[in-house]
Amino acid sequence: MTDSERISGRAEAVHRLHAARPRSRFARWSGIAFVGLVAVAWTSPALRPGDFLSPRRLANLRRFLGELVPYPLQQGEGENAARVAVAWSLDMLGDKGWSAAGTSLALSVAAIVLVGALAAVCMLVAARTLATPEPYVESPRTPSRLRQRAWRALAAGTRAVLVFLRSIPEYIWAFLLLAILGPGVWPLVLALALHNLGILGKLDAEVVENLDPAPMAALRGLGAGRLQIATAAILPLSLPRLLLFFFYRWETCVREATVLGMLGVVSLGYWIVDSRARNHYDEMFFFVLLGAALVLLGDLLSAVARTLVRRAS
Amino acid sequence: MLVGARGLVLGTIALVGLWAAWELGLDPRDLIPGSGGLALAGELFSRAFSPAWTYESAVPEGTVPLPLKALEAARVTVMLAAAALGLSVVVGLFLGLAASTATWVGSAHGGRCAWGRCLNVTSPAIYGVSRVFIALLRSVHELIWAVLFLAAFGVGQFSAVLAIAIPYSGTLAKVFSEMLDEAPRDAAEALRSAGASPAQIFLFGLLPQALPDMTAYAFYRFECALRSSAVLGFFGYPTLGYYLAASFENLHYGEVWTYLYTLLGLVLLADAWSGALRRRLVPGGVR
Repeated sequence: MTDSERISGRAEAVHRLHAARPRSRFARWSGIAFVGLVAVAWTSPALRPGDFLSPRRLANLRRFLGELVPYPLQQGEGENAARVAVAWSLDMLGDKGWSAAGTSLALSVAAIVLVGALAAVCMLVAARTLATPEPYVESPRTPSRLRQRAWRALAAGTRAVLVFLRSIPEYIWAFLLLAILGPGVWPLVLALALHNLGILGKLDAEVVENLDPAPMAALRGLGAGRLQIATAAILPLSLPRLLLFFFYRWETCVREATVLGMLGVVSLGYWIVDSRARNHYDEMFFFVLLGAALVLLGDLLSAVARTLVRRAS
Repeated sequence: MLVGARGLVLGTIALVGLWAAWELGLDPRDLIPGSGGLALAGELFSRAFSPAWTYESAVPEGTVPLPLKALEAARVTVMLAAAALGLSVVVGLFLGLAASTATWVGSAHGGRCAWGRCLNVTSPAIYGVSRVFIALLRSVHELIWAVLFLAAFGVGQFSAVLAIAIPYSGTLAKVFSEMLDEAPRDAAEALRSAGASPAQIFLFGLLPQALPDMTAYAFYRFECALRSSAVLGFFGYPTLGYYLAASFENLHYGEVWTYLYTLLGLVLLADAWSGALRRRLVPGGVR
């Protein structure tokens, strides 16, 4: 084979690869439609990006930025500014910061542990491989139409409930539940739990459906019931993936927990809104930074946990 | 041994959960609503199957009908979400590039020209700085940005767009960079050994491999942006949350469900769209 032949052969192979690349007219039109939607949104007269930086607003911004500085420093403590700032921050931490950050963290943990347990149950009912009259192995007698329909309805119904739960944001759940249950911690825990159950339940059910069916089929062949299959095969086999999703959702729970307090329970969000209402912007900024630190801590812990899970499985 | 490890992990999680419950003073007895709460829950949920089609109190002459009002709120919700996500995708793409180890594959040995040598020196710094920057972007929730912007500028729809766009840029950048990292590198390696420039390696070797995943993920984030945009209504922006809160506070529970179902419809539409796209783009992908 000469060089030129080899090259033209390669070009042909590349051409064939290019022609065989995955293409989808739907994807292309989706992209075009989305870009169009973004263009319409950006040119909407209500948006007025230019107005955002009008001279009046810039003046507002300058005043605002000045007020973010801790109050004692605004009074002019030129020489020992650093010491004053540290003392002020420690005061804030001891006064409200630590307990508010602790509450936010506890909110996220309580909610995600509750969700983890509930989702592990929901996934068994929502997984179409298990929620059927003949899981994993066909039974000798064809199951009646009624039993088939009942199992299908159970799985579909669970999925519909999960969709509804995740469609409503945490904040709106919290808003509604606070009115029903009265001020307290439960509404916020439940709000985080309901929305995330919708997400985690769906993800976990997909994990179960995507498991290699052989071990479950073997158990079923030995005459194991659904519960036995679930505890002996499905739960242990799916645990690593369930844990990955569990920690991934916990991360977002920490983020949400920092703001749910805005609806009136003592967490970081509460103090952010409270100090804003009292025009103490320095305190507000302090709690915003504390919330950011908490979210970063959550991200870090979650990343470490997920690496450990990946390495162990 | 394996069972022991499993038990240890689950036991630890349960213990930490108990600590959280103790720290918050969670008491299962508090889950039972008082008589007032029970009555409210009854009134609220009895309207779930009969959302309002007309206002539940007298409105001034010339007010738009309720369904139109809900649609208008939905339109603003969609517009703010789309504007924010459009911005986030652009920012996230550039940041995600900078924060992906795969991006720098091309420059690792590309010290032939002054630009290549310069990249060799600066790329670890760019990579590190953008990773930290992404984490910082993500660390402040969109509602907190909304509160900050309200305090700094006052109400304006553009600040709502920015409030959503900042954390979403961070999230998209993080996930984009992970997708670029996980994309197969053989094409990029082949291009590099053929002497392609870093830009060519990226555009023709890496990006096409990761693009389906990235597109599907961006569409999923649109669904999230719709929810965030609706919630921003609670802070005075004219999205679904604004009208929902107002109706709830006026005890017009039928209207609450009208707005809730409108939001549900929007989210389901976005979900169906991104789901259809994912099935075509990512064969066998779960998330």
